[in-house]
Amino acid sequence: MADLLERGSRWLEDQRTKHCTRDVNYVRGAASAVVRATVGRTEFKTDDGETVRIEFTDRDFLVLSTDLVLAGSSTTPERGDKVRETQDGTVYVFEVMDWRYSDPYRQTLRIETKLVGTETA
Amino acid sequence: MAVITDIADAIVAELNAATFSQPVAAERHYLPQFELKEMQTLHVTVVPKTVVLASSDRSRSQRDYSIDVAVQKKFETGDNAELDPLLALVEQIADHFRGRRLASFPDAAWLKTEQTVLYAPEHIDELRQFTSVLTLTYRVLR
Repeated sequence: MADLLERGSRWLEDQRTKHCTRDVNYVRGAASAVVRATVGRTEFKTDDGETVRIEFTDRDFLVLSTDLVLAGSSTTPERGDKVRETQDGTVYVFEVMDWRYSDPYRQTLRIETKLVGTETA
Repeated sequence: MAVITDIADAIVAELNAATFSQPVAAERHYLPQFELKEMQTLHVTVVPKTVVLASSDRSRSQRDYSIDVAVQKKFETGDNAELDPLLALVEQIADHFRGRRLASFPDAAWLKTEQTVLYAPEHIDELRQFTSVLTLTYRVLR
């Protein structure tokens, strides 16, 4: 018998991807792919470290795990990958710091990033 | 100006005049605060830290001025090939100041150099950034 919760979760993830996402460019080295991503969280933070304080913007992207295909192969995020998001003529470059599955069925990736640069589109 | 800022400025001048394994453009700050996206280039920041006063003899006091020198850079891969040169630069900076009087503030005698933060593991882990901090201490008799 099918797992009803899993089916429901899959339907919800499909709806999220259809209605609550934007295109972003996922980049690893020379390989890249356009994926549909939901902005999961954006926070401005300060690291109050020794001597020097570093400010940074955290941003999470939710992406269907089946959508992340680089150079023809399905993959999972790696530290140092980049997510390039274009908004109002500016490309915001985010670097992947960590990731995890955001649901118990491993359907969606929560990709944790930090803003590391901006470029003109 | 306060003596500690004079010493900090002298350290900045020494850093910018010296030749290291990679170009250094040091700056003095009261409240060093940077955005992560600015850290793609090497940052060397000089920050006054502490002053300790004590008696030297009947007529003079000794003042020990500690100044932090932070070396920071956001890295790409974080492997040894990328981080080793940064740690080597920190060592070169430490060696440069060892036993040397500052050209623009010769009254200050070098006392010690401490590598108070050899490298910050939390910055490597959470920011993918190299951070190392040297604390230089100079003694002035007044």
